[in-house]
Amino acid sequence: MEKPQAAVSMRNIVKTFGKGVYANRDVDLDIYHGEILSLLGENGSGKTTLMNMLSGIYYPDEGEIFINSKPVSINSPKDAYELGIGMVHQHFKLVDVLTAAENIVLGLDGALDLNKAKEKIREICARYGFEVDPDKKIYSMSVSEKQTVEIVKVLYRGADILILDEPTAVLTPQETKKLFEIMRNMKKDGKALVIITHKLAEVMEISDRVAILRQGKYVGTLITKNTSPKEMTDMMVGRKVELGIERPEPIDPKLRLRISNLSVTDAEGIQKLKNINLDIYSGEILGIAGISGCGQKELLESVAGLQKVDSGSIIYYDDDGTEKELVGMDPVKIKELGVALSFVPEDRLGMGLVGDMDLSDNMMLRSFRDGKGVFTDRKSPHERAEKIVKQLHVDTPGIETPVRKLSGGNIQKVLVGRELYLRPSVLMTAYVVRGLDINSSYTIYDLIVFQKLSGTAVIFVGEDLDVLLQISDRVCVLCDGQVNGILDGRKAEKSEVGLLMTSLAENHESVSEPAYAKTGSDPEKEGGN
Amino acid sequence: MKKLVSVLLAAMMALSLCACGASAGSAADGGAKDAGSGASDIKVGFICLHDENSTYDLNFINGAKEACKNLGIEPIIKVNIPEGQECYDAACELADAGCSFIFADSFGHEDYMIEAAKEYPDIQFSHATGTKAHTEGLANYHNAFASIYEGRYLAGIVAGMKLKEMIDAGEITPDQAKIGYVGAFTYAEVISGYTSFFLGARSVVPEATMEVTFTGSWYDETAEKEGATKLIQDGCVLISQHADSMGAPTACENAGVPDVSYNGSTEAACPNTFLVSSRIDWAPYFEYAIKATANKEAYDTDWTGTLETGSVALTDLGKSVADGTKEAVEEAKKKLQDGSLHVFDTSTFTVEGKELTTYMADVDTDPDYKGDHEAIKDGYFNESGEGMRSAPYFDLQIDGISLLDTAF
Amino acid sequence: MEKKIRVPLFHLAKREELSKKKKFIIRIIAIVAALLLCALLTALATGINPLEVYGSLVGGAFGSVRKTWITLQDLSILLLISVALTPAFTMKFWNIGGEGQVLVGGLATAACMILLENKIPSVLIMLVSFIAAVLAGALWGLIPAVCKAKWNTNETLMTLMMNYIATQLVSFFVIIWEVPKGSGKIGIINQNSHDGWMVQLFGSKYMLCIVVSAVVTVFMYIYLNYSKHGYEIQVVGQSINTAKYVGINISKVIIRTMLLSGALCGLAGMLLVGSINHTITTTIAGGQGFTAVMVSWMAKFNPFTMIPCAFLIVFMNRGAGEIATNFGLNPSFADIMTGIILFFIIGCEFFINYSIKFRKMSGGRS
Repeated sequence: MEKPQAAVSMRNIVKTFGKGVYANRDVDLDIYHGEILSLLGENGSGKTTLMNMLSGIYYPDEGEIFINSKPVSINSPKDAYELGIGMVHQHFKLVDVLTAAENIVLGLDGALDLNKAKEKIREICARYGFEVDPDKKIYSMSVSEKQTVEIVKVLYRGADILILDEPTAVLTPQETKKLFEIMRNMKKDGKALVIITHKLAEVMEISDRVAILRQGKYVGTLITKNTSPKEMTDMMVGRKVELGIERPEPIDPKLRLRISNLSVTDAEGIQKLKNINLDIYSGEILGIAGISGCGQKELLESVAGLQKVDSGSIIYYDDDGTEKELVGMDPVKIKELGVALSFVPEDRLGMGLVGDMDLSDNMMLRSFRDGKGVFTDRKSPHERAEKIVKQLHVDTPGIETPVRKLSGGNIQKVLVGRELYLRPSVLMTAYVVRGLDINSSYTIYDLIVFQKLSGTAVIFVGEDLDVLLQISDRVCVLCDGQVNGILDGRKAEKSEVGLLMTSLAENHESVSEPAYAKTGSDPEKEGGN
Repeated sequence: MKKLVSVLLAAMMALSLCACGASAGSAADGGAKDAGSGASDIKVGFICLHDENSTYDLNFINGAKEACKNLGIEPIIKVNIPEGQECYDAACELADAGCSFIFADSFGHEDYMIEAAKEYPDIQFSHATGTKAHTEGLANYHNAFASIYEGRYLAGIVAGMKLKEMIDAGEITPDQAKIGYVGAFTYAEVISGYTSFFLGARSVVPEATMEVTFTGSWYDETAEKEGATKLIQDGCVLISQHADSMGAPTACENAGVPDVSYNGSTEAACPNTFLVSSRIDWAPYFEYAIKATANKEAYDTDWTGTLETGSVALTDLGKSVADGTKEAVEEAKKKLQDGSLHVFDTSTFTVEGKELTTYMADVDTDPDYKGDHEAIKDGYFNESGEGMRSAPYFDLQIDGISLLDTAF
Repeated sequence: MEKKIRVPLFHLAKREELSKKKKFIIRIIAIVAALLLCALLTALATGINPLEVYGSLVGGAFGSVRKTWITLQDLSILLLISVALTPAFTMKFWNIGGEGQVLVGGLATAACMILLENKIPSVLIMLVSFIAAVLAGALWGLIPAVCKAKWNTNETLMTLMMNYIATQLVSFFVIIWEVPKGSGKIGIINQNSHDGWMVQLFGSKYMLCIVVSAVVTVFMYIYLNYSKHGYEIQVVGQSINTAKYVGINISKVIIRTMLLSGALCGLAGMLLVGSINHTITTTIAGGQGFTAVMVSWMAKFNPFTMIPCAFLIVFMNRGAGEIATNFGLNPSFADIMTGIILFFIIGCEFFINYSIKFRKMSGGRS
């Protein structure tokens, strides 16, 4: 069979950021019509940079780009559109107060006829299976709807080469499924699709071929059906990696936190948590599953003393059984109570760390009040930062580098490292591996499991159900601010969790719990399982 | 990169060398000029509150340039010196630069000039409009002013003639002969000014009345323009001012209302409405004081310029003045000079309905504003009189003038 | 291949962090370029030899011992106000009310000097003025801070409005205390008794401001960089959420920091009235409360970097008067030159962060 003409050919692409920092180096890539290509690589491997050169955001330092075999020069996103290239970025570029249709036509030349535009939008939706209300305002849309608008916007402008940058990162399993359906429809229509991702399961499910980048260099392309996650991972990280998370049995679990009848209302007056009852034991990992916005954030922040609570109590049990009420405390008071509570929040740079501060100063966030006197102790945070860099293999030019300049995985290592350094008795993590490459992710998982083994009660909020079910001893599923079931992590099925995430169960009793959690609520009687 | 640094360094050095050379050169030039003129080899410095954009300061700058030209010396003029420590600094800098006569033009400069005078006893300091020289007891500190109320009176006659013309033409009734006046502050210098102007106008049109508004600033173009506009809307048919910007004359030109300005002619900017302007010609004083300084002679602690000394001057009359104005002004001027006419003749005005027979004026400045000198002499108020002080102290509210916005 | 490829003439690329030396050199190049442009402009617009103008600028600032002292004194006041505003800016609290805080500090000092003359010893008047000025400035900083902390009002508007209130307050008291009545001027306060005039250090009347400003600058550097308060200010400035996350009481930090900021501005007001001018007018701060905002920003909130930044502005101001005197040029001409120099200095930051890559001549294809 004769080789079909490539929709896009990139040859010897080089892009540098500053002297000696290669984002891409001699990259060759072909994209064909009627196929879905996965662009796979660790964080910082240059996937997004490469695609940004196609969409006109960056201009390559060297190399050539051919569209349908013709050499082109793409100087701006406008040039890209004219060549039929459209990219959906991770961060949506939509105007909140405008409607879907207004956003889609925004910036287009020529006379504006909104009715005609809406007609065309409906046509596109019908063709590929999108569900979009052209008159709905962006601010009232869910993340998935916003993404849909972005994709329709690209199609509306006549793109036949579509690039999707980590589109599933913000979607629920159900939404992901729907997106993949649409992608297959587009493929059937002859579009060339590129999906940037590092979720191997998705690569296997959706793509025809997979191109792999490592440290800015092109490693190779595989036919998806002829490869395995293992092989892809090896190519991505350049060495053989053992996949799989250890899950030792909890050692001597004791009741550590008891959340009773906890209710929370947010600033807009929406009830976020309704009568939550939950026990967390030492030495276990309690996974929390739920679609975004179902109350995970409020739950963790209530425990951390960051969230105003309407009613209910959160009792912390010391090793000797002393009870300490955490409701009404702020983080400083919780620390003063002697409760070692660590919290890795979802928003790393916006909450967990200060992006413009260096590693050492970020260490100080937890310790700057230590010591008497008006001055801060600068030495020990510096030493701590050095230790963390060494132990967690943080890739940084130095301790004095602002953390925002590090890659996502290294930022997370700094944050997790700092929080674990406190030797917490309770550790809470939210989406701890979001946006991280596989290597970093497994480093973090190992750290968390190690904490569990040292007797820490871990609350693990995750979005990747495969991981959640591999790491958790128990899985608590939240739905609409309520506990919709607590499952045994070793026995639960993914589909079961998915169902509980999306619809409130009628009867909670049917779900299984491990023996140690059932033995009762009195911590005095706890003696393992 | 090293090469670049060295080039830059070389450039910087060259630049600084040139700069030093240039300043040294200009100083030498100055010296040569002084020596060449021969007549006087002293340096004189002038401190102005604003620059030449202010009519008040321009009048001083012109006077200084004229006097220095006559004496063959080059003045050092410092402009935009605020009424604060900067004035003291400027005076001291001028002293350091070798000036032996230093002059400041604004009322608020006085205290700082006194400070500088104390520090430099060998240098002569003069200050216009000030009030403290005669009580301060410093041999090298002087006040100077002129009997500008006489000039104002004459300008008032020009205004009165214009009002009379308007009444005769039937444009207004005698009752409507209301004059508007934009003043800066509510103290004697301004009060004396508008009262003398009003008395001049009333000597022609006895029915005339006046309304005065204050801006609270010597130079505030917007406020002065607004003040004049407000007066015009209030029914004033002729405007005059005692504040230093072009605000009031411009408002008059826009509204087509006749205007008597101050400090100098505004005819160029306001050809249709300009009548006349009174001003103090400072050149006679400067010549007198600088000559005395150069000859190391003492000169008056408190000097009052007059019509005789040429210090009180009227500009040329504008195009739109009434017929016979020139003659009327000449006649009054003659009378003022021979003493048969006094501006503040107590028979020509009343205060709270009564003729004035005695008044203790606050001549010696103190925070309590206590009257300390009897000002009524031979049937007139003795403004800028012998044995008193040059700066005005007439601060009475006479009948026929109503004040607006007296907050300042 | 029929369509010729449009390769851009140049494109911008973000630089990695430059070394301090290179940054310094870029800034020097910017200043030299600005001076060259100013020189060109001077020659073209006025026909005066620009080198003479530059010489005159230097002469205006350093032409004599006295001029040098005055330049240093002016520098110290502008530096003090800039440093005073800095903790608030570090906290991203846009305090543009420095002008008003300085004014009320000055007003409090003037009030003490006028009301306490001949009543208590001069040293006590100084002490009372100091306390009053610091408290007044702090109060002027406190009001917008409390409103921000409690009701999240916009501090930019609020501090700006406080300036007008301060100006009107000063006008009001000037009319109460004016001598002579109606003149709108207070004149030198206690000119003969010198009651409440600030002490002279080392026998020089310029020294006090310089010493106070130097001490405050060093203090502020240490406070911001090494104290717990300073660390809290930085965290609040960088990320409110992070501050909450580690349990920093944000309202407390805002209020405490603005008290400090306002108090130091009040101190500057005290020096302006008690040590320099010995009078109070509505314009005594002379816009320095606003100029200081620019100084603080240009120095990227580093108190020591503020010294050269403030110096540049004071130098140009002092030189401006000299240019006007020597060449009859309006002082606005020096303002134009200051503007050009500032534009170059701020503009060169672009070249520190980005490099321009030109099209390679050999890279052309058809």
